[in-house]
Amino acid sequence: MIPSDYLSAALLIAGAVFFLAGTVGLLRFPDVYTRLHALTKADNVGLGLLVAGLALQAESWAVVGKLLLIWLLVLLAGASVAHLVAVAARHRGIKLWKR
Amino acid sequence: MRTVDRRWRLQFTPSDSVIIHLRSGLLRAVLFALMWWVLTDGAVDSWQVGAPVVLSATLASVVLLPPSSCSLTGVVRFVPFFLWRSLCGGVDVARRALHPRLPISPGLFHHRWRLPPGLPRVFMANTVSLLPGTLSAGVDKEYLHIHVLDQTGNFASELPLIEARVAELFGLNLVTDELGGG
Repeated sequence: MIPSDYLSAALLIAGAVFFLAGTVGLLRFPDVYTRLHALTKADNVGLGLLVAGLALQAESWAVVGKLLLIWLLVLLAGASVAHLVAVAARHRGIKLWKR
Repeated sequence: MRTVDRRWRLQFTPSDSVIIHLRSGLLRAVLFALMWWVLTDGAVDSWQVGAPVVLSATLASVVLLPPSSCSLTGVVRFVPFFLWRSLCGGVDVARRALHPRLPISPGLFHHRWRLPPGLPRVFMANTVSLLPGTLSAGVDKEYLHIHVLDQTGNFASELPLIEARVAELFGLNLVTDELGGG
């Protein structure tokens, strides 16, 4: 393995940890709003790290661009859908969980 | 139908508007061309299809999403800010999710808009959802409603900063509270 392979591996593992944390958050957080926090933010960072790790292994700049495009589209979709779910939950009168 | 609040209407002369349309049309054409190049792995003969596609995508985008100003220095300042803060957001929520005592105390926060309606507000709402501890949970004419994961956090001081960076990105001046009134 060359140094960039180690860096790739580290980024991919870190990305997977964020996905795991996001899923743990989805299961442990008490209501729809807090769960959305876990999904949007942790998955965004997790995918960002995966994309960075894979980009290091890419054979051409076009592939790097494609990976980046995927990440941007997921960011856009994730943030928009989280917003829509939160709006719908408030419309239905779902109360916030309070400590 | 577009309703424009008088407070936010910018004064353009006709020639300004033509220049803005040309500039943003050209910028979008370059972006679409780049996207085509990425999707086709730079295959040269694909441009027979690609050139008309890029052209019609540019036309469609200018018609559907009227050009807005956009500042290059704003972009250069926004990207590292966003990357760093969204990394912080991920670390923060991961830490809370994995912490045995689940340290969260959620609440709702209402942020009065200082950005003009339209794309800048949509952009701000989406950005807020990806930054630490905040999730946009509704927009109306006056407020951005934000669900915060930890009410004791410093989100209240962070929001004006995010808003300023978004304004910078679109080359806008923020409306001050005095002008906003009511």
